[in-house]
Amino acid sequence: MPESLVPPEAFEMIGKVVGTQSGVVFEKEAQRFAAAVGDLNPVYFDDEAAKAQGYRGIVAPPMFLPQVTQGVTRVDNLTTDGLAAGGNRRDVPLNVHRVMAGGEEIEFREPIYPGDTITSETKVVSIEEKEGRSGSFVIVTRASECTNQDGTVVGIITTKSITR
Amino acid sequence: MADQPYFEDFAVGDNIPEVTERCNEAQLFFFSAATNNGHRIHYDLPFAKEEGHETILVHGPLQAALMGKTLTDWAGPEGRLVKIGIQNRASAYPHEDLFFGAKVVGKREEGGRRFLDLETFERKSDGRVIMPGTATVSLPSRR
Repeated sequence: MPESLVPPEAFEMIGKVVGTQSGVVFEKEAQRFAAAVGDLNPVYFDDEAAKAQGYRGIVAPPMFLPQVTQGVTRVDNLTTDGLAAGGNRRDVPLNVHRVMAGGEEIEFREPIYPGDTITSETKVVSIEEKEGRSGSFVIVTRASECTNQDGTVVGIITTKSITR
Repeated sequence: MADQPYFEDFAVGDNIPEVTERCNEAQLFFFSAATNNGHRIHYDLPFAKEEGHETILVHGPLQAALMGKTLTDWAGPEGRLVKIGIQNRASAYPHEDLFFGAKVVGKREEGGRRFLDLETFERKSDGRVIMPGTATVSLPSRR
């Protein structure tokens, strides 16, 4: 019987908060994101257009939500592939070497506006060990609840990481 | 974007209009910058080739955002993107056509709002789906 990739203590992380991050929505950052996507929807750029469509004012693109609470990458601390060193998630102790993105789901509850402070609290939802063609792998599912400064949940980001 | 689709206009099995996107190197650079992403596979051609890719890669989150744009453009001024889920299955490259679309798989009314559940896809010109997904969009009613 080969050693499991999931040591018993990993399962103790299920349901626990493994990270909290916060950030402020900046109008120009949200607009740079929209422009880089090629998404010139006037609700991201024009206050009147946004109000006419039922928003309080200029709104950030929904897909910008995960960016708001991202950390700041230091260029003096990168791996050879250009990613932040230590960026691989180590919040769950697993006997694995490689981490790959396995999919993402975002539920949008409320719009996010420039000036909002967003806090995301990440919990481990599940840890599943599976057998694949090239050996066993582990799928870790994490959910981040994003709230604004009023305590309103604006979105929930669920990500799966595949590790082997 | 001026056209407003309504909940009653769609039945399960209907497709939303497909959108073609094509990224270039400058766009990838701007997306890396806008998302504080230093991953070399998106701008460093020799590095991307060393990693086994034919050229630099379109970011997974950029493809997801293009799917989001496809849905919000289609949903019109009164529509809202409620949920999106994606899986990046294969690489996408600059200067190739990427097709984004969705099929209606469910219709429901909850709490006075009307929702369409969609199965979404991003595919290449050979038909291969490189980013399957699901989404929920709320639409206004004609009633």
